[in-house]
Amino acid sequence: MSAPADESALAAAIATAAAAGEPLAIAGNGTKRAMLRPVQAARALSTANLRGITLYAPKELVLRARAGTPLPEIEAAVAAQGQHLIAEPPDPAALFGAGPATLGGIVAANLSGPRRVAWGAMRDHVLGLRAVNGSGEILRAGGRVLKNVTGLDLCKLLTGSHGTLAVITEVTLKVLPAPEAVGTVALAGLDAARGVAALAAALGSPYGVSAAAYLPAEAAARVGFAHAVALARIEEFAPSVAYRTDRLRADLAAFGPAEILDDAASRPLWRAVRDAVPLAAGPADAVWRVSVRPSAGPAVLDGLAVAGLAGFLDWGGGLVWLAGPATVAAHAAVCAAASAQGGTWTLFRSPEPLAAAVAVIPPEAPALASITRRVKAAFDPRGILNPGRLYPGL
Amino acid sequence: MATPLETVIAAARDLLGERLSTNATLREHHSHGQDTQPPHLPDAVAFVETTAEVARILALCHTHGVPVVPWGAGTSLEGHVTPVRGGITLDLSRMTRILATSQEDMDCRVEAGVTRDQLNTHLRDAGLFFPVDPGTAACTLGGMCATRASGTNAVRYGTMRENVLGLTVVLADGRVIRTGGRVRKSSTGYDLTRLFIGSEGTLGVITEVGLRLHGIPEAISSATCQFDDLRAAVETVITVMQSGIPVARIEFLDEVQIAASIAYSKLTGLEAKPTLFFEFHGTEASVAEQAAQAEAIARDYGAHGFRWATDPAERAKLWQARHDALWAALALKPGYQGLTTDSIVPISALAEAVLGTKADIAASGVTAAVVGHVGDGNFHTVILVPPGPEGLAQAWELDKKIVARALALGGSCSGEHGVGLGKREFLEQEHGAEALAVMRSIKQTLDPRGVMNPGKMFLN
Repeated sequence: MSAPADESALAAAIATAAAAGEPLAIAGNGTKRAMLRPVQAARALSTANLRGITLYAPKELVLRARAGTPLPEIEAAVAAQGQHLIAEPPDPAALFGAGPATLGGIVAANLSGPRRVAWGAMRDHVLGLRAVNGSGEILRAGGRVLKNVTGLDLCKLLTGSHGTLAVITEVTLKVLPAPEAVGTVALAGLDAARGVAALAAALGSPYGVSAAAYLPAEAAARVGFAHAVALARIEEFAPSVAYRTDRLRADLAAFGPAEILDDAASRPLWRAVRDAVPLAAGPADAVWRVSVRPSAGPAVLDGLAVAGLAGFLDWGGGLVWLAGPATVAAHAAVCAAASAQGGTWTLFRSPEPLAAAVAVIPPEAPALASITRRVKAAFDPRGILNPGRLYPGL
Repeated sequence: MATPLETVIAAARDLLGERLSTNATLREHHSHGQDTQPPHLPDAVAFVETTAEVARILALCHTHGVPVVPWGAGTSLEGHVTPVRGGITLDLSRMTRILATSQEDMDCRVEAGVTRDQLNTHLRDAGLFFPVDPGTAACTLGGMCATRASGTNAVRYGTMRENVLGLTVVLADGRVIRTGGRVRKSSTGYDLTRLFIGSEGTLGVITEVGLRLHGIPEAISSATCQFDDLRAAVETVITVMQSGIPVARIEFLDEVQIAASIAYSKLTGLEAKPTLFFEFHGTEASVAEQAAQAEAIARDYGAHGFRWATDPAERAKLWQARHDALWAALALKPGYQGLTTDSIVPISALAEAVLGTKADIAASGVTAAVVGHVGDGNFHTVILVPPGPEGLAQAWELDKKIVARALALGGSCSGEHGVGLGKREFLEQEHGAEALAVMRSIKQTLDPRGVMNPGKMFLN
């Protein structure tokens, strides 16, 4: 593993690899190595030594840091100014047994937590990037202002490209003031369909719900509930949280009596939902994430129980977390269930034999796949960056 | 032998009949947007009604190397719709079907020619709305996607970038692709949706748009307050944003603009002084609370003349006045054209940028009003262009100075209007040669014959 000390050394290493046509496996701290497809590369290149916050302007709600900066360091710096990362990125330790994640890794994977349903994904808060393309050239994309319409949006394209287009070396993020208080309205005992209907009502209410998850009984038990539970979070100034949770509970009365969880109970609960703690994923199990219309989440979750898969719903029902045996049959069942609802699926974590044997994300239609190949070639003509990470042969 | 253009026009006429027009008046109408770029006539205008028709015409133009310029409502401010190399202007304004709306999933899918006004009228009964609101309500959602449009609600709800779930796009060679989907998040594969958002018709033609919708807030209140100096107004904005008050809109009007708006929109109770407009969305209680917090902050910075408007009619009048700012400014000098700048700077540099701009205006001798979406650091200067070529040169010179300052302060030449023809020269300075090379390479690979809206975004 080579971990260059700065951006220019990293660019030089990539230029050398490009000249030799040598594939590189790109990582930050390598926490997500078991995610998506295994990369076949002779050498690994890490951004772990590109560390440090290079600009933080709390008044401007903007933070810029080098890609290898550990996420907890960034979270601590913004928390000290009463601010937070809007997309609530997860801590990979619970699922991947390693940590901490780096900023670059989280952006390259576009990972977001429960707040995504209300405030958007990690990608939506990336204002600018620096990156090195597959020829070893340093690129700038976006900037530090809150919106920008000049040129093609390379910034959003690089976010979520899993190191296959360019190696991110620095990220500029929008941050926001952290809420003073958090409260949760919890409705117990609903089945998934009723639970998601309650969450849809909560998200459509004027109370500013910032997260909405449904945990079936087994998942709920892992975070201390006796029954299945539908959870709606409100974050605001303290008096406002009290008022809004109360009003929301009244508005949801048709779904049964609700309990209100206070700040002390809500914070660890949502951290657990963020990190997929309610998921019963043994070390040998595979983990999937299925994205569907929120109203289709219950059908996917319930339909896969017979295949030995269990999980829970986040994003109001639009994200289905699933865990189960790492078999081709289980994977096929997940793909079929997602496709039947017009959704997409990701084999999020799996032992290498399964990930190498199946498509980890849906294959693209031919016209779309050809654009993907051409975009890849525009950034990485020799195909040396994380080959095979997303699709075989790309 | 027929020229490529004649061949395309004949084949398009076979396909569209009278919806393919070479009528001089229609061509003139499609020769310019709402900008000061010199007009240029298209050779023909095709009024398409389906994605399949768009695909057929693009395939034709691709085969014969004839330029195609997509057209929504023609409200562009940077020359995006001007067919500088002639060819076919593809008018999508008849593609106005709302294909699906889901109240429980809070999303919808529409054809590209649906206007934001039409969509919001359609959604009202479902208790939903689409928040992105450029200065005109007549603009189409396809055009808004192509230019990555934004507006006064961006502070709270984001721009088109954050509110589009997926697209149907016809590529230069006529192939039809669907990007994204109805799912809120799709981390599978590259984000090609965002590649087309803001691509200004240079990569393909957007024919359908999937949109994320929002619940109509239970309560809305608006407020105005005035300041003796501009810096205090900007400091107020920074402090309001930083304190976490979830303000929906926060707009700045300088003394020139507010005087124009008082006259044009018949606003009462306001003086010709730097002014802020606020709007808060939420519950009855939260709106009152947000408003009180914002008022306290503004008073700390010396604001006076605080006025609250919760009455819908009064609120509507206020925001109509804000949306009509351009027309109000133009009314200051009848017969003058308007040139609108669009720079955006880090919010900490906003006071410096606006004060510097005002000094430049004073030195240039032209009249210009400053109005801005200050919550995100984006401000517009409406330069009133004296008639004649000299006047236009004077206005462009002022625009260049304003852009140069924004770039020097770490900002961008355009926060929401786009590159089009007017801002091409700034692209390399802003993004660097390497990033620009990647953009060109993507353009080349998706539109190898260079027929898609040629001459825009990139020089040459």
